[in-house]
This record gives sequence, structure tokens and C-alpha cells, in this order.
Amino acid sequence: MSLEITNAIVEAIPRFEGYVYPNESGTHPLWGFLIVLYPYITGLVAGAFIMASLVRVFRVKPLEPVYRLSLLTALAFLLCATLPLLFHLGHPERSIQIMITPHLTSPMAIFGFVYAWYLMAVLFLELWFDYREDFVEWSKTEAGFRGIIYRAFTLGVTDVSDKALALDHKLSWIISILGIPSAFLLHGYVGFIFGSIKANPWWGNAIMPIIFILSAMVSGIALCVFNYMVLTWVRRRALDMRCLDVMGMFLFYALVIDATVEALDWVHRAYSAEEGFHVMEYMAQERLFYTLSIGQVLVGTLIPLLLLGVLQVLRKRIPDMARKRMYFASAVFILIGVFAMRWNVVMGGQFFSKSLRGVMSYKLEFAGVEGWFMGLILLSLPFIILTVLIKLFLAERLSTKGHVPHRMEEI
Amino acid sequence: MKFDFSRRKMLGVFGGALAGLLSAPAARAAKATVQKVFASSGAPNGYDPYKHKWLMCFDVDKCIGCGLCVDACKKENHVPEAAHYFRTWIERYIIKKPKPGSDRLRGEVLVDSPNGGRDGFPPTSVPREEILKSFFVPKLCNLCEASPCTQVCPVGATFDTPDGAVLVDPNYCIGCGFCIQACPYGCRFLNPETKTAEKCNLCYHRITRGLKPACVEVCPTEARIFGDLKNPVENDPIQTFIAKNKVFSLKPHLGTEPRTLYANLDKEVR
Amino acid sequence: MGLLKMPPQIFRLVLLTIGIVVSYFIARQLLTPASFRDYGFYRGAALEEVASRTPVFAGRKSCLECHEIIQTQLFKGEHKTIGCESCHGPSSAHVADPDSDGKKPDKRNTLACSRCHEANPSRPVTQKQINIKNHYAGQKCTECHVPHQPNEVP
Repeated sequence: MSLEITNAIVEAIPRFEGYVYPNESGTHPLWGFLIVLYPYITGLVAGAFIMASLVRVFRVKPLEPVYRLSLLTALAFLLCATLPLLFHLGHPERSIQIMITPHLTSPMAIFGFVYAWYLMAVLFLELWFDYREDFVEWSKTEAGFRGIIYRAFTLGVTDVSDKALALDHKLSWIISILGIPSAFLLHGYVGFIFGSIKANPWWGNAIMPIIFILSAMVSGIALCVFNYMVLTWVRRRALDMRCLDVMGMFLFYALVIDATVEALDWVHRAYSAEEGFHVMEYMAQERLFYTLSIGQVLVGTLIPLLLLGVLQVLRKRIPDMARKRMYFASAVFILIGVFAMRWNVVMGGQFFSKSLRGVMSYKLEFAGVEGWFMGLILLSLPFIILTVLIKLFLAERLSTKGHVPHRMEEI
Repeated sequence: MKFDFSRRKMLGVFGGALAGLLSAPAARAAKATVQKVFASSGAPNGYDPYKHKWLMCFDVDKCIGCGLCVDACKKENHVPEAAHYFRTWIERYIIKKPKPGSDRLRGEVLVDSPNGGRDGFPPTSVPREEILKSFFVPKLCNLCEASPCTQVCPVGATFDTPDGAVLVDPNYCIGCGFCIQACPYGCRFLNPETKTAEKCNLCYHRITRGLKPACVEVCPTEARIFGDLKNPVENDPIQTFIAKNKVFSLKPHLGTEPRTLYANLDKEVR
Repeated sequence: MGLLKMPPQIFRLVLLTIGIVVSYFIARQLLTPASFRDYGFYRGAALEEVASRTPVFAGRKSCLECHEIIQTQLFKGEHKTIGCESCHGPSSAHVADPDSDGKKPDKRNTLACSRCHEANPSRPVTQKQINIKNHYAGQKCTECHVPHQPNEVP
């Protein structure tokens, strides 16, 4: 028995190579699985929102079928974005202090406001203006629990005259335009939380926010592809192939840009080879091999680039069924790859000592707050919320006569 | 809520203590005052943070690696016993001779810090004839002028005080760990019991009472030099130290401007 | 009145926004600790709280108040830089209550000489070092050396 306990303890203590500061040798890494989830989920929000703004701001008509789905996806994930952070705190009950006494030089304190702005001023407002006409309609036709919800969401305003709706659309459009920089800000800021830590050469990097934004766009579009395909499959509806092709096109372009910039970052790191580069190089080869070389580069970038690239060139020659499968596979691979990228950033930054003399490793636990079971729950939570949101606001039996994008020309 | 107490009262206490050395009856009285200071668990009266600027520096050549400072720090500040929680620790650097025939000046560099150096250092496995040079380096909070750790705290639970210490407010810290990530020197840790960040605070409860930090108190060789920049005494140790030595700070390229300075440091120390 | 001419949906949103902002500022007013910003962007009371801990090590000054003879001895020799509690251990309990035997620093906890004087290639050459095994093995250090006055022979 005691041997088992000893073994468990030895297992729990990470192994080291070289020298690490004594304070780094303990419960390592300080930021675990939950902090990997946080930029991942936030990135999906930003990406899904940008996907929606392709329809509203850039007027990409073929994407209209996924407009509302993208917005609801963004909302579902945004509602969960701060949960991993909250659970990871030593004192979650004190988290309110971030809003009460925000330290203005701290990226984390400002994030609270960026988050609140994005949730309240951008996402809620855009959804509200978009749905207002429908809310008024549904509050009349629906009874029971649904009726109460829709009535509450009208905020007591039942004016759906053409004049009022025109105003709604105009405002919604303005909010959407504001929303693009806000989405960039939201996720760029997550990148900044890591990029601003100059103590850590793996993180402290001016292009970190840009890499985060680009990979966020890629993962967000991939998530919309995934959700759209799953939703139509669940509903046994026909996929709009034109919509899927256009999504695939944007996914491909976003991935090309993302992969280029990330490669550029690596070239820069290797060429300038600043202090400690050899430690990071060793860590990347030894401790991050599966997540970096296999997960991020091969699965997350090269395979989807190949699949999507082929689809761009040979779109007309590939039958629908095969195309669907290829899109679906690309989306899933990209979602895995971007997760691996977040893992590499967050964990990679903690796998080497700040003394630049040693590396550590980490075994992911099953149980516990930082275990992968908890992570799995937190990762499935947004999908559960999304299911509820879809049932409430994207139900098939509800007529959506106010589906805004059809009225774009009126603006 | 500021404590507006004067230094005079404090001097009175210790002046009394000194006078006690001269005469026996006075000693009795002084003993009583000293006991009073130590028995009180409240904040020391008469301390004004604006009238002090504390600083600790190191002379690497004087450190003998006995580890008494690490042990004293753990006891004084009730630092968790486990081998990965330290407010101060000692590193041993062993620079080996270059391989015969190589055109290098120095060989491999080995660094270790078994239990933070708390139990002293066991003999190294490197044979003496292979060692080019070897030395100990005490480490603690670098008291940065531009502290990256206080900069990133989202709630203002860690901060630079007017008197030069960098404190953590254990009743306000949310335990996010951002400061621990931001410290380039590995000086912070998350206390597993309180779930808040913790670090060297120059024994704030001691220096406000006119005592030296515990590590300085027990250091046998005066490798740790401690003083008050605003109230230099006669032959002030820290002023003498700066005047007599060429000093260096750790990781100067990060722009954190550590106030803690090291004399006789080697380039391998990070 | 201009307010009434505002479109109803905008009016509701403005009300909601004002409600949220006002409740945020009320919450901020209520929940900000009283001593916040006394010295800077932190709780001023924290300084007092951190300072209110009781010291564990009493400091040499307190020891020498009673143990004067030892002081005169100590100041003559090379061990003059060493604090009493370096070897004898933390003693504030003893200082607070000098008459209680139970609170006196335990003699058995007195530090071994080897902690500082065992030969170690990492130690500065100025430090006096010996190989304890080869240095009059089997004899106690104190048979030849006086800890409080190392240049004297007992």
C-alpha cells in the first residue's frame, strides 16, 4: 500500500532534465489543462463571429444558411470562455475583484472588460437586433415556457413597423462592423496575456496576438463547418453544397495565412536564436513531439491544407459525397490541430525552466480540477449550451421571416 | 488607515535595548520592552513606510553554501516544508575544466540546488581535479525597479511598497498564478495551503520592528548585505558594499532593473 | 422631449445599459476595500497585516542583552559575524519568556561545525575547511576549539 502511494507521488512529481529553479519543480505546470482550454474556446468564439460577419459585413450571400448558427455558436462558447479560468483560480470566490479593482496594467484585468464588452455590446446586441422581429412574432404564437422566454427577450418592445426594422438592420450592421475589431481584440488580447510575459522566451513575442487571431479564425470557421454538417445530419436535411464550398474556401485561405505566419514565427525564432533557444528547441523535439510535429503541423496544418487545396482545384470533379467527407475531415483535423497549438503554447511555455538550463515533463491526470475529465466536461458544456440555443432560437418549427441577410440590400 | 507612527518611538525601544547593555537595572527594563515587542502579535507601532528604503545585496564570494538562510526563512515565514517552495534558496554552480585538447576556456556547467540548499550541499560527484571553479549563489526576490510581477497582477494583490519591499496581500490574492509566470527569476510560488502566491517580502514583519530579515540574521559570513538606503548608519554595510565592489544584476536584458545587486557574479548565473 | 422621440427599442437598451453601468459602479463602491489606494493600487491595510506576524528569530541584539559575557568573547574572534541563532536556532519564545526552561533553545539542536567547515570545492578559499573524516577523527570539535572564540584553545 505504502509502495503504491510512494509510486503515485513519484509519478505525480514531474521528471526533470538539467536544472530548474526549486519553485518550478513542484506542482508543475502551474497552468494546466484548463488554461489550454481557455484560449481554445475564446478563439472559437472569435472565429465563429468573424464567420458570421462574412455574411453581414462582407455580404457573402452563399453563407447565409450558417449566419445565425455561427452567431449562436459564438455565444454558446463565449458563455463558457471564462469558466476554465474561474475553476483554475486558487480563490474563485474572489474573482469578482478583477472587475471591482481592475489593475489597469494587467492584461488579465483588462480582459474582464474586453470580455464584457464583447458579450454585452457586440454579441447580445447583434443577436437581439437580428432576432427582434422574430421574438415579437414568436411571443405571439408560442405558449408556455418558450412563450415566456421570447416575451422576455422582446424587452417589451413590440414595434415591428418597417421603419423600426430598418433601424434594427442598420444598427445591427454597425454593430457587426464594430464586432470585427472587437473579435480581434478579444482574441488578440488572449494572445497578449501570453505574449506580454517577457520572462518566458516561448511566450514573450510580439506576434503572439496575431498568431492567436489567425488560428482563432481558422478554428472558428472549422467549428462552423463542423456544427453545420452535424446539425443538417441530425435534422436529416440536405446540405447546401454551395455554402459548404464557400466555407471551405474561406477555411483554406485562412489556414494558408495562419500557417504562413506561424512558419514565419518559427523561422524568426530559429534564425535569431536568442538566449535559451537551444533549450526550447530541445523541448520542442522531446517534450512536444506528438503535439507539435504530429498534432499541430501534420494533422492540424499539412493534411487539411492538402485536402482543402485539392478541393479548391478539383471542386467540380469530386462528387458531393466525397467533398462532404473531405470538408468534415478537414474541419475535425483543424479543430484538433488548433487545440494542439494551444497546448503547445501554454504547456510549452512551462516545460522549460526560466533558468534556461532544464526541461520538465507533465503527465495529464484523469481526475481533479486540472484533469482531463474536467476538461472534457468544460469542452462539452458549450455544445450543450449550443444545443439549447438551437432548440430555442433555430428550431425548425419556428418560422423565421425576419432572417436578416435576405434584406441586406435594403440597408 | 495609514499607520502614522513615528520612528522616534521605535528608536526608543532599541535605544533602550542598547542602553540595557551598559547597566544591569536598565537591562531589566529594556528586557521588558523587548519582550513586549515580541509578545505583541499586532503591527509594530511607530513605523512609517515612507521613511525607509530597504535593500538586500549579495557578495557571491562570501557565500559558503551552509544553507542556514534557507532554513531560517522556512522557519521564520512558515514556508511549506516540501522541496519546491522557497522564498530564498542557494544554487551551486560547478564549471568543469574544458576537455583536454579542446580550444575552450570552460567546460560543462552543472547547476543544482538540492532541497534549495536547506540542508547544505552534499559533496559533488564531480572529482575535484575536473572542476575549474565552483561557487554558491543565494537567490531571492530581485526587488525589481520595474517589477513584471506586480505589473501583471489583475487585482493589485501584489505591489511595491514605498519602503522597497514587494509584498503579496494573502487576503486579496485570487491565486491566478500570473505573477508566478511573470517573474523571470522563479522567486514566486503558489502556496498549496493558502492557494495564494507567495514570495520573499524581506521579512516585512521583522524589518518594520527594526530587526534584520531572518536570512541576514543567520548568515555567518555576511554574504547577504542588508540596509536602509534612507537611513544610512555609520560605516553602512550596503553603502560600503556598493562603493567597494563591481556589481551586476540578474537577467539585465529583460529591463526589470533589479535593485538586488550581486558582487563577483559569473556569466553563467541566470 | 427628445427622450420620448427615441425609438422604443433603443430606449429600452439605453435604460438597460444605464442600469448595468450604474449597478457596476454601485457594486464597485460597495465592494472596494476601505484602505484601497492608501499608498498605491492595493489594500493599504495589507502592509499592517503582513507586518503583524510575530518574529520567530529574536535577533542577536535581544540575545546579547542577557548573555553579555558571551558577547565579549564572541567579538574577539572570527565568529563575530555569526548570529547567535545561526547555531542555536530560533529563540523568540525564549526571549519572550526567559525564565521558562521549556522555551530555551535546545542544546542538542546546536549546529554541527561541519555545516560550514566541511571541505567543499564550491566554498570560497577564504573559508577554513577540513575533511572531518581525516581531521582527528573520533574526537569532538569542542575538545580543541572554542565555538564562541575559535582562535582560543580550551
